[in-house]
Amino acid sequence: MADLTTAAETRAPRAAADRGFATTLIWAGSVLLGLVLLAVLAGPLLVRWGPEEIDAAAALAAPGGAHPLGTDVNGMDILSRVLHAGRLDLGVAVASVALAVVLGTLLGVVAGYRGGLVDDVLMRFLDVFQAFPAFILALAVAALLGGGAPELILVIALVNAPAYARLVRAEVRTVREMPFVEASRTSGSSGLGTLWRHVLPNSLTPVRVIAPLNCGWAMLTLAGLSFLGLGVTVPTAEWGAMISLGAADVVAGRWWTSVPPGLMLLVSVLGFSLLGEGLQERAGVRR
Amino acid sequence: MRIARFTARRLLQAVPVLLGVIVVTFVLVRVLPGDPIRTILGPNATEADAAAARARYGLDKPMGEQFLDYLGGLFTGDLGVSIQSGQAVLGEMAVRLGPTLELVVIAVTIATLLATVLGIWSARRAGRAGDHTLRVLALVGNSLPEFWLGLVLILVVYSWLGWVPAPSGRVDPDTNLSLITGADLLDAALTGNGPAFASAAGHLVLPVATMVIVIVAPLLRSVRASALEVLGSEAYQAAAAHGLPERTLLRGYLARAALVRLPALAALVFGFAMGSTVLVEYVFSWQGFGQWALRGLLFRDYPVVQASVVVIALCYTLIFLVADVVQAVLDPRVRI
Amino acid sequence: MTLLDIRDLKVAIGSVRALAGVDLTVARGEVVGLVGESGGGKSMIARSVVGLLPRGARATGQVLFGGRDVLTMDAAELAAHRGAGAAICFQNPRGALSPTRSVGRQLTDRLITHQGMDAAGAREAAVALFESVGIRSAARRFTAYPHELSGGQAQRVMISLATGCAPGLLIADEPTTGLDVTLTREILRRFRAAADDEDRGVLLISHDLASIARICDRLIVLNAGSVVEHGPTAGLLTAPAHPYTRALLAAVPDPNKPAAYRPLTGPEDSGASSAGSRPGDPGRAPAAPEAGDEVVRVEDAHVVYGSRFGAGGHHALRGVSLTVRAGETVGVVGESGSGKSTLARLMLGLITPARGTVTLVGQDPARLRGRKLRELRRRAQLVFQDPIGSLSPRRTVADAVAEPLRAAGMGAAERAGRVAAVLERMGLDGSYADRRPHELSGGQAQRVGIARALAGEPDLIVFDEPTSALDVTVQAQILKVIGEVTAERGRGSVFISHDLATVRGFCDRVVVLYLGRIVEEGPVEEVFARPRHPYTMALLAAAPTLTGPEETGRVHLTRDPDEAAPGGGCALAPRCPFAEDACRAEEQELRPLGGVRVACRRAGELPDLHGAER
Repeated sequence: MADLTTAAETRAPRAAADRGFATTLIWAGSVLLGLVLLAVLAGPLLVRWGPEEIDAAAALAAPGGAHPLGTDVNGMDILSRVLHAGRLDLGVAVASVALAVVLGTLLGVVAGYRGGLVDDVLMRFLDVFQAFPAFILALAVAALLGGGAPELILVIALVNAPAYARLVRAEVRTVREMPFVEASRTSGSSGLGTLWRHVLPNSLTPVRVIAPLNCGWAMLTLAGLSFLGLGVTVPTAEWGAMISLGAADVVAGRWWTSVPPGLMLLVSVLGFSLLGEGLQERAGVRR
Repeated sequence: MRIARFTARRLLQAVPVLLGVIVVTFVLVRVLPGDPIRTILGPNATEADAAAARARYGLDKPMGEQFLDYLGGLFTGDLGVSIQSGQAVLGEMAVRLGPTLELVVIAVTIATLLATVLGIWSARRAGRAGDHTLRVLALVGNSLPEFWLGLVLILVVYSWLGWVPAPSGRVDPDTNLSLITGADLLDAALTGNGPAFASAAGHLVLPVATMVIVIVAPLLRSVRASALEVLGSEAYQAAAAHGLPERTLLRGYLARAALVRLPALAALVFGFAMGSTVLVEYVFSWQGFGQWALRGLLFRDYPVVQASVVVIALCYTLIFLVADVVQAVLDPRVRI
Repeated sequence: MTLLDIRDLKVAIGSVRALAGVDLTVARGEVVGLVGESGGGKSMIARSVVGLLPRGARATGQVLFGGRDVLTMDAAELAAHRGAGAAICFQNPRGALSPTRSVGRQLTDRLITHQGMDAAGAREAAVALFESVGIRSAARRFTAYPHELSGGQAQRVMISLATGCAPGLLIADEPTTGLDVTLTREILRRFRAAADDEDRGVLLISHDLASIARICDRLIVLNAGSVVEHGPTAGLLTAPAHPYTRALLAAVPDPNKPAAYRPLTGPEDSGASSAGSRPGDPGRAPAAPEAGDEVVRVEDAHVVYGSRFGAGGHHALRGVSLTVRAGETVGVVGESGSGKSTLARLMLGLITPARGTVTLVGQDPARLRGRKLRELRRRAQLVFQDPIGSLSPRRTVADAVAEPLRAAGMGAAERAGRVAAVLERMGLDGSYADRRPHELSGGQAQRVGIARALAGEPDLIVFDEPTSALDVTVQAQILKVIGEVTAERGRGSVFISHDLATVRGFCDRVVVLYLGRIVEEGPVEEVFARPRHPYTMALLAAAPTLTGPEETGRVHLTRDPDEAAPGGGCALAPRCPFAEDACRAEEQELRPLGGVRVACRRAGELPDLHGAER
């Protein structure tokens, strides 16, 4: 038997190999997210200290004893804060992406399906928002709106919505020209019927794939804003704010105030990234 | 000639967007809550003090008049006076922009080169262990919060290993670097100041490494995906089936075709990196544009906020223009 | 001398058996045709000859090339064998040319690698080679990129790339797919010349027996990964032994004799169509027309697709008038770009003419809006060229077929009954109702497409090249189904095709389109028996036939369609062998001549001229 594996291969078998890896990625991401979710939901029940409870006697205590991960400069328990913060970080990230998806899809469908003047006006309007790097825009809007979870959800959603709008618009414009849409029109279906039954379901694949990746980005944005003092502020437990508070300790070699929240952030974002990458890979193969 | 015409057209198209940016920032800054005068004068100032300060910065005039003044200033290169420092915004910005652009440009360039080499390498080994490892590593890098990564690098490379200078400032002041562009490495090279060059390079290592690690993943993914597509394409297969040698295949049939989509993404990543610098500069006390703009934002320093926002939008627009031109050069199918 | 000798070649990809023991030989100086439907393993044979099987493919047996087995070659031997030993001329030349390298460079790469030329010598040789395969102004084309070439040009470049490797064996994989008939002949002649003049072996792979049969010395018929029959061309065509070969042969339409796709028991409706005209009453509410009623009338329609950036635009139809009556089937024939699909969409009211009018069952779709327009659209249905693409990937078959009914406001229960009935009529049992398009074969998908068109009981059905994306044997089945559908008296049908032979099967009248104009129109038998317009003659002459030598007296157009930009006067003049100065000066109008109408000032004298040449 000669196994003719050569430099150039066709897609089919490689697609199978990639699908295997994609599944692995999706699993790995789901497991990481599951673990984080379990920790932030069940963890706080097992911790002795409250997230904002001050142990005045033990400010900046090293890990061990009563505080398994030590305390910060205010004497608050790091472990308790890290676990509680996860609820806020994950919640804000998912809520903001959901809001962005809904807003963006609505705008994108209207612009892409209607076309013409509506499309032009909407797109020029989005151009203005997209003339900035997303984080800078988030920074500016957050500085103007002020901190707090609802405001931050809105900020991150607003910053993300234009990208979804573009994505959906591009997809709608492609799908709109496909023969099956023409077939639907020929069948005498109304514009809205065609849109709802044929265009929309076939235009949302990229959104489904991008959204998990975007959740990771939203978490990083939230933490970044808080790190700069523009998001959630002490004493509320939030990973970025905790890292910010611990930044001064790093030069002194005190790692426990900033490394644990950073690791939690990394693991959660990585979970979303792996999941998103896996989904992207699978969608790409299928397409 | 075609490229010049294309550039001109694109610049013209950018004008309405930039105008929109100017109007939106101008209005938003003033409409949303927060008062720069109160922030600066502190809680003890009287109402009369505040009124006097408002008059000094022209904030007592109607908004329409303020806008026209501001627009007029923009065209004459007068970006106003910072409310915090009382200095001209243009001058302050000039010394801040250089260091930041230097950081971003170096980081994006290194990341793009790295992504090109590794992406093609990875695609040619698609599905094998090396490919999978590289992709997961890139994803981990992309999932790291840059401000935290910076701190960890400082902890390890500076605090424990002591390999790099302290994370404060961009160049050792003892080297007497004279200021030309504000980009320290470039200034040192221009003035032939060897010690300053070494010092600036040393200070750049960690911030650049931080940014490269964070931004390389999307570039890598794009190059790998494009290269895979090319490798699987009928065109590449046809060339391989006609027995062309490896070198010709790699250079003539793989590399260029795999890179056509990179410029647009690199521009996007450039923008992402500009956002990242705000955080990275904060961690490394870089004293760059990001920190300056951030402080302006926190203090509601209207002229500083407006100027920095417009400059960022301008940079972003220009980098996309450059990306389009590069893409047109790479891809004969693109009409410009 | 035997060049390629494949013995008992078996290839499996994973658990899928692609080839189940194939034997074939090709010698220098001969052209061997390998025929079979897509998925039959033809391309796998081509790939195994150059050692480029997909990853994961396991091959057994021997692929002897010049005595050495390709399957056991090491990397260095393979590198030497590919190109120089055997070179493939790939299907879909546009896709097989690297988009980011100029075609000249792509050719010199091959010349330098396989013929040891230096850069300057290769450049000269490349230009010469381009010229020899019929590329005009070759020196200028040298720096062109593939996307700047037309399909025909790209195919020529592909041939030059394959011959530029100076291979002993030239393999052409579906070399004429997507080319129109006139170009096909020209391209095939090149392969014959490669065998005759350059003493190469040529292996021609095609799904289309008719197009390649004439130039092949021997034929090999492949079905489901096995050779079912092989032998000299003439013998195989006249006395096919295997049932599959007979099915393939039967599926080939022959323009020289009318093939009846219509059911023998069906109504004879040519009489009805020529019965007196009864123009539709515009005020009447649309009711089902009777045989002979006008279903659609297009009058002097012009369609211009505006370019997105201001001036210019593509003039797709230039003054077309056409009437279709109930019970009648009209064939519309022309090359790609002649405006066939535009005419289809115009008749359905999907596009509005820039000038002229369309009257669909008595109403002008351009004057209707909203619900009324949708109702009117439902009375005319389209069967698409791309059967799978015309079904929404996320909707089931039942859903797709029910769409016109849902749009008409029919209740769910009634809808389900109707859907089951039309699917049944198309030979699809209940198990198909819940399938999605990717679970259907091309033929099944097209049956669903026809079922959808029929579901709403329309007055007009337009078939837009409904079989061009299907395999030949499937084509025959679908054509039979269409034949039954078009035979119904209460409805008008339009059948669009680039292939004259298919049209002859079941159309009453035929309309020949060229660059957006009707050049000839008349009863189908009349047009076939006595073509008056040079373009019709050329189309008929170029249609592939299984037997007989090429007739030298046939009419051939002189240039590729994309090279002959029409100036003033008759649009065909730049390509017409009979063109005179007067032809280039004046536009040609349709004029009655005998039983037909022709847009050619020399139409009256041409049959004689034509005959005299012969």
